[in-house]
Amino acid sequence: MRASEDQLRIWMIGGLDGDADAHTALLRALVPMLRSFFGRRLRGANDDVEDLVQETLMAIHSRRATYDRDRPFVAWAYAVARYKMIDHFRRSRQTQTIDGLEDILIAEGFEDACSARIDIDRLLGGISAKQAKAIRDTKVEGLSIAEAAQSQGLSETDIKVSVHRGLKALAARMRGAD
Amino acid sequence: MQTDDLIRALAGDIAPVSRSVVERRVLLGIMSGSVITMGWIAFILGFRPDLGQAMHGFSFWMKWAYTGSLGLCAVMATLHLSRPEAGRAEWLWLLVIPIGLLAAVSVGELVRTPPHDWLSLWLGQSWKRCAIYVLLSALPIFVGLLWAFRKLAPTLLRLAGASAGLASGACAATLYGLHCPEASATFVLTWYSLGIGLAALLGACVGPRFMRW
Repeated sequence: MRASEDQLRIWMIGGLDGDADAHTALLRALVPMLRSFFGRRLRGANDDVEDLVQETLMAIHSRRATYDRDRPFVAWAYAVARYKMIDHFRRSRQTQTIDGLEDILIAEGFEDACSARIDIDRLLGGISAKQAKAIRDTKVEGLSIAEAAQSQGLSETDIKVSVHRGLKALAARMRGAD
Repeated sequence: MQTDDLIRALAGDIAPVSRSVVERRVLLGIMSGSVITMGWIAFILGFRPDLGQAMHGFSFWMKWAYTGSLGLCAVMATLHLSRPEAGRAEWLWLLVIPIGLLAAVSVGELVRTPPHDWLSLWLGQSWKRCAIYVLLSALPIFVGLLWAFRKLAPTLLRLAGASAGLASGACAATLYGLHCPEASATFVLTWYSLGIGLAALLGACVGPRFMRW
């Protein structure tokens, strides 16, 4: 389950006040958000994605003084992530158009995250728990097949089959719902 | 390194961060640079001989009001640009107020002066060195700001560099006013502004190189 703006902000402020547990919770919650953020924008370059996730976590940690407690946290965090991505493209001498911060916040679902979340939960509630978990890990949280397999203690083939069958079941349900 | 290990390492190094740390760091950078600039002006260039007397006159405070308000706007803009989510420059448009006011004083001055004296009003005694001295005075302050930015998170590097250059130029010009005896608004509007503008240009050139993080 992805953390909300309010939750992330509370953790961030806790970290700024020196609470290591809050800071750990914040960084852990950011990992899937950053993986899916970079994953969608750097298709197929998984090593780069993980490097960028780590670089962004380090930047969020080392530059946390530049977060103003009275302003939205998610916008600040994605601004750091966006900067790290621009820096990555500059270093690898790629030209790439990069969305502005506001477009990123909309694309990452921080405009109406709640309603979309409920839709996903309702849809995934209709298929088997194993398939739902596989889909949630790989398609929503942005884990790779290998990571999802490792975290659930299953084989990669297992995850692939679960995702495939789950998506098929979802498609069938959506057709039925029309 | 695994991401989990990284998180554990980062969470082990968590000193509390006070609210105004960005402001204090930028201020510290400006102050440390200003000490060096002040030393240069005091011991190498020398204060203007009539400093005590000049501080009772209009033109001295006019110069300080001009460079001081430019500096204030630029410092506010620099603080804003030191945070990653800044999408554009704020505060800088306020610069039109001091520039406009000084231009008005300058026009009044020109109206009261016969045209054959305009050139001396404009060039004064020191037009050849004024801008370059302002730029040189700005360097230590600009370095101080670059130091401050090593812990900050600008994302518009060129703009942040220009803004930091402008701030250092305006602060330097304020200190340079302790040395420079020129009194005309037309002179200040041209040559001080040129020096401050050069400092901003320098900042825009080197910002992307030195403010990366």
